[in-house]
Amino acid sequence: MIPEFLAAVIDTLLPGDDVLPSGTAAGVALAPGTHAPVLQAVRTEAGGMDAFAQAPEAARVAVLQAVERAHPETFRALLVAVLSDYYEAALVLAALGWRSDPPQPWGHALPIMDSPTSEHLERVRQRDRLWRGRC
Amino acid sequence: MPAQRLDPVDVVVVGAGMGGAAFCARLAERAPRRRIVCLERGGWVDTAAMPAWRRDSQRATINEWASSPNMRLAARKGDRPLFSADYPIDDSGSPFKPLMWNGVGGSTINWAAHFPRLHPSDFKTQTLDGVGDDWPFDYFDIEPYYDLNDAAMGVSGLAGDPAYPPKPPRAMPPLALGRLGMTAARGFDALGWHWWPVDAAINAVAHDGRAGCNYCGPCQQGCVNRAKASVDVTYWPRAIAAGVELRPHSIAQQVVIEGGRATGVLYRDADGNEVTQRASTVVVAGNGIGTARLLLASGLASPALGRYLMFHPAAYARGMFKQELDGPVGPIGCALYSHEFYETDERRGFKRGVHLQVTRENIPLMQALRLEPAWGRDAHRLLREEFRHSIAVLVLAEDMPEAHNRVVLTDRPEADGLPGVKLDYTLSEHSRRSLDFGLDRAEEMLRAAGAHRILRLPLAPLTGWHLLGTARMGRDPATSVVDAGGRCHAVPNLLVADGSLFPTVGAVNPGSTIGALALKVAEDLAKDIA
Repeated sequence: MIPEFLAAVIDTLLPGDDVLPSGTAAGVALAPGTHAPVLQAVRTEAGGMDAFAQAPEAARVAVLQAVERAHPETFRALLVAVLSDYYEAALVLAALGWRSDPPQPWGHALPIMDSPTSEHLERVRQRDRLWRGRC
Repeated sequence: MPAQRLDPVDVVVVGAGMGGAAFCARLAERAPRRRIVCLERGGWVDTAAMPAWRRDSQRATINEWASSPNMRLAARKGDRPLFSADYPIDDSGSPFKPLMWNGVGGSTINWAAHFPRLHPSDFKTQTLDGVGDDWPFDYFDIEPYYDLNDAAMGVSGLAGDPAYPPKPPRAMPPLALGRLGMTAARGFDALGWHWWPVDAAINAVAHDGRAGCNYCGPCQQGCVNRAKASVDVTYWPRAIAAGVELRPHSIAQQVVIEGGRATGVLYRDADGNEVTQRASTVVVAGNGIGTARLLLASGLASPALGRYLMFHPAAYARGMFKQELDGPVGPIGCALYSHEFYETDERRGFKRGVHLQVTRENIPLMQALRLEPAWGRDAHRLLREEFRHSIAVLVLAEDMPEAHNRVVLTDRPEADGLPGVKLDYTLSEHSRRSLDFGLDRAEEMLRAAGAHRILRLPLAPLTGWHLLGTARMGRDPATSVVDAGGRCHAVPNLLVADGSLFPTVGAVNPGSTIGALALKVAEDLAKDIA
């Protein structure tokens, strides 16, 4: 598989926009030899690797949609692999306003119940019992 | 080679999850002279191996730390052992996919630790509403065991909820609601509906030698600082200190039944040797699938065994908000709930009710994988709209006990030495109606809270945590497997001590009730053998 073809597949799945980077810009790559059957199906559907890589975005999307319909399981596996790399990339998490450090050991801060919410809860507390089962 | 026969003990327990752990700890304390052995198919979990320490923690949630044993098995690489000692489950005949953990701690290792009790009405649905079956005892009989279980696990929450009979003060204050919880509370308040901060088996502050939660997020991949109560850190140290012998990596193959009595358990040890642990009493606590599988494989003659499988049918409504919320932080299942619609109101067109639970956001990878479309420019737009700006309301319905919903054995022998297992389960019209009603109410709340767009997931397949009813309690051996003390009708010294016991399931998470029930079963047995 030529690198331009693999990059085109990745960036058709993850094209990027004014906020999020494209898949390849985020560092997503497909190792040679992985997902071969579904990539072969893309190649065949497009009429060749160069044809796919050089096609306009709408045409590439149409090819991938056709392959997704014809090979849902292998296409899904490819997608999961690409998305896993993408959404763990520091560049992507930063673009989403999220940190790339692991959840631990820092954890997160979370605000506790404020006064208006406590007042709402007090109204609930004053209600008659809602449960049944004993007279 | 014949199985090695070990000297008899008083009680052998199969399964070291919530039911088995609570049972062992209580029995050991109430019958201190009795020798108790617990066989667990998996091992202890090492917190250092949990993914929360790693930058690639997101992908772990769909691979080796997935909630689904089938997904974990599919992710297994070569000979590398899984952390959970899983067996495959044929779930092709069920819209809900079974979720669990197989190791010391059972599914409390990867549960969300949402810790509600059943309501009093849940114990007498036939008497009150003419549906389901009554339990052989009521809420107030089991209430002392709920209190004991709460104390053992450590509960954060707030007493005073009018949806329940009075409960003792909770050991810790509620977990932080966050912006998400407070936004949802405004929605419930605007409609005049009940809401309450959840009871959670998670430390809001340091408690009982364990740290307070720092809201890191991935509770369902194990809790690295032990703020979340799992029974490997709550009940098991107590049970072991009281003399229980826990044998990890011991896969029960068969309960040996001779002349109408259980005489022990044949198991495969860590080295693959077959061993028979003889015992005066055998207790099975392997969850609603594992227990049924073992007892069916053991030839227990009971027409209800494996039948009446119940989940909690689940659906989601997800609201998108303009304002920034919390993102994928904090315990996933633990913000607040509403029981405004928990009790029967026949004007709704169905009996019993629904549990509405405001849950926290998933990690970005999980959010991305369930988008439609999941790739391309629209996927980016949808993800940005949702991430840190959404509230999901989980709707849980009360499943009804139906004999045709069941766990069955297959002809395929599995690598663990037991027959394969399959689920045959159909979502009932009652459940569908309940879920649709709950989704409508969830939408109302989300709009009242300010959501500008709402998505509905009419059925959530990966919610099959609650595996219940397959060895149910009752008085009639034709429609139940065990009596009120958990003893099998057909084999009185064979007991069950897990969620399989539930005759009905209410509409809330069962962990709290499983623990309380196991304590009660242990207490009843202790009266006989202490």
